[in-house]
Amino acid sequence: MNLTDKEYVERCRDGHPEDFGLLVDRYQKPLFAYLAARVGNFPQTEEAAQESFVRAFLSLKLLRKPESFYAWLLGIAGRVAKEQFRSTVHHERDCEAAQFMIADTAADGGEEPPLEESIAALPETYRQVILLRYYEGLSCQEVAIRLAVPLGTVTKTLSRAYARLRQELAARERAGQTINTHQP
Amino acid sequence: MNCAECRDNLVACAEGWLNREEEQQCRAHWEACAACRTEFEAITRLQQRLIARGQTAAEARLVEAVMRRVRQEQFQPKKETIMSKLLKHRWGFGLSAAAGASAAILLTILLTTPKAQAKAVEVMTKGAQAVAKLTCIHLRGQLRTLPADNFSYINADSPFYTIELWKQFEPDLKWRIEKPERVIVMDGQSTVMLIKAGNNTGVKLPQRTTSAFDTEWLHRIANLSNTLSNELDNARTKGWPLNLAEETGADGRLKSVVTIQTKSGMPDNDYCKNTFMENADTRRVYRFDAQSQLLESVKIYLNRPSGEVQIFDLNQIDYNQPINPGVWKLELPADVSWAQLPEQLPILPDNEKYASMTAQQAARAFFEACSREDWNEAGKFMSPINDQLKEYLGGVEIVSLGEPFSSQNYPGQMVPYEIKLRAQEFNMRVANTNAAKRFVIMGVYDRKLRLQQDLKWSGEPEVLTNNDAYARLTPQEAVQAYMDAQSKFNWVEMRKFASEYDVKETKGQVAMAEKQGIDVHKMMPAFQVGEATWSAEQSAWFVKCRTISTQAKKWNIAVRKDNPAGRWQVDGGI
Repeated sequence: MNLTDKEYVERCRDGHPEDFGLLVDRYQKPLFAYLAARVGNFPQTEEAAQESFVRAFLSLKLLRKPESFYAWLLGIAGRVAKEQFRSTVHHERDCEAAQFMIADTAADGGEEPPLEESIAALPETYRQVILLRYYEGLSCQEVAIRLAVPLGTVTKTLSRAYARLRQELAARERAGQTINTHQP
Repeated sequence: MNCAECRDNLVACAEGWLNREEEQQCRAHWEACAACRTEFEAITRLQQRLIARGQTAAEARLVEAVMRRVRQEQFQPKKETIMSKLLKHRWGFGLSAAAGASAAILLTILLTTPKAQAKAVEVMTKGAQAVAKLTCIHLRGQLRTLPADNFSYINADSPFYTIELWKQFEPDLKWRIEKPERVIVMDGQSTVMLIKAGNNTGVKLPQRTTSAFDTEWLHRIANLSNTLSNELDNARTKGWPLNLAEETGADGRLKSVVTIQTKSGMPDNDYCKNTFMENADTRRVYRFDAQSQLLESVKIYLNRPSGEVQIFDLNQIDYNQPINPGVWKLELPADVSWAQLPEQLPILPDNEKYASMTAQQAARAFFEACSREDWNEAGKFMSPINDQLKEYLGGVEIVSLGEPFSSQNYPGQMVPYEIKLRAQEFNMRVANTNAAKRFVIMGVYDRKLRLQQDLKWSGEPEVLTNNDAYARLTPQEAVQAYMDAQSKFNWVEMRKFASEYDVKETKGQVAMAEKQGIDVHKMMPAFQVGEATWSAEQSAWFVKCRTISTQAKKWNIAVRKDNPAGRWQVDGGI
């Protein structure tokens, strides 16, 4: 079963909460990568990612645009990362660590805009191919099998996804700030 | 290769999909073209970033941990309920004071302010969340309806009958809904309904369904998270009043009670108003355990101009309790006649003749065909025509047919009719193989000794104080005494020969007829009781009976033509 984000969200709301596991499976890696750039070490990233998914599940009813689940999830993750950062600073009063974490927030290629937010802005078919190819590490042939589409469709979609992703990144770079993905 | 062709191939080149020749052409182009080279470098840079990000997350395995936490969160009891907080703030006493008292219902405070309405919404939302991980559910309640009638049919004048639903959501969807003489099973493959009144009638949908045959209202209660949000949406969009009260239940625990007043939007004089769940003006009362936040009961009251009557009492809800797999099997009797689905109705060679009829002409043609016992012709208006119906309507005489009328939510029309039924012959099956050793009525059979109605004994007949006098009665005398008691509406006497179920149903039908302004003394036909015979084949006594007079019947026949053949089909009112 390979449903859209919207369909999974609707099924979760409609008495099939176990389907949330499929959304976790779909987005655990990009979310983890997104948080890794903001939070720091592996255990903290893992904790923040879990917390983000659990909060997302508990407020699934409030999600107004189920098709924007991933962008909304990143918004939640952004808040979780901030809270975790504040809490670490507060408890440890370790300025050096704080400095390190602030520096690490931009760890994804220095000044470049965050990749995962730009991926979140892609149409779902493009996003799916990018995530499977790079975050799941599948070959294009494997992506084609997973999505039950011809190989040619995957390669064409990936080419278009690249073009669109570059546009998104360029727009964010121009804006000089990340677009608010918190409230779809 | 020009620039456009080159750029079309840049991602393919970075991904290594091009054959050697294509790749060489590409490289040759960008060695000479700085712009395309820059493009290629940008693409490979992005590719490297994507690969690096993927590697960062390669070890992420969150599904199991997240889902474990999700389950814990769902079932974690909350320390303090919204209601107890509210009460503390507004009235200055708390949960312990309420819970400490011994009265069954100590406290009922109706809150009607917008804030309280918002709290009612919150209770419903939490209730929906509390059952988010629902793999199966079993509901058991009582509904004022008729045992064999439509699942959404309600009748405030009828006695209560048990209605039950089993539903499995995981691993695959299955459900069963049952009342005494009507049952549906969706076993994951197909959906089959069996109507057990008289001759057995079956209807089969060859597919799996989430709901079918007018059971949507009950499914809505089973799909709790959906139901509660639907109720809230309705409350918001239709302006239905929503109230919240708090009670201490008989178990000493705090209950949050949400009440919704629903409006069908139908005028009071509509024929179908308050006859089906979806056409009814109701007050629905959802009672939640304030601590677990689980829904514990649902009560539905019908609002009639003459007053309020409780029509539904759902008092047992089993969450995630294993369901016996036997529930998903429907035992079909050998004699079941299968009804044709409206969408399968064939186009007749002379279809136009039927399609161009008015509703009244169709009703007349149907009754006339029954009168001639031309069952092939009658079958063009109704499916199936079983033996019981043939026995009942064969030789019928039409007294009059009135002007058809319609109802707001019904796609067909109702035609008032008055008919005279011919004298009917049937058999009563009696048995004295019981502890009281007296003859009691076990069932009604047609003249060929085929079961028409099982009178459902749930236990042994009681040993009466003057049991001997009754034990001396012959099968024939016992049937005569039963008929006499029934015609005099002497329920106590009738109960000495009949099951509780039979008495209850007869009593219900009489009460309903009275409410509809029918003279019940004229309604009951007179019977002649004939000889008793022993059937070795069935190991039982059968007593022949016959109606003495022709019986008149005045009612409305419902017909509809929203089928592919466009022919009027009898849908009810027989």
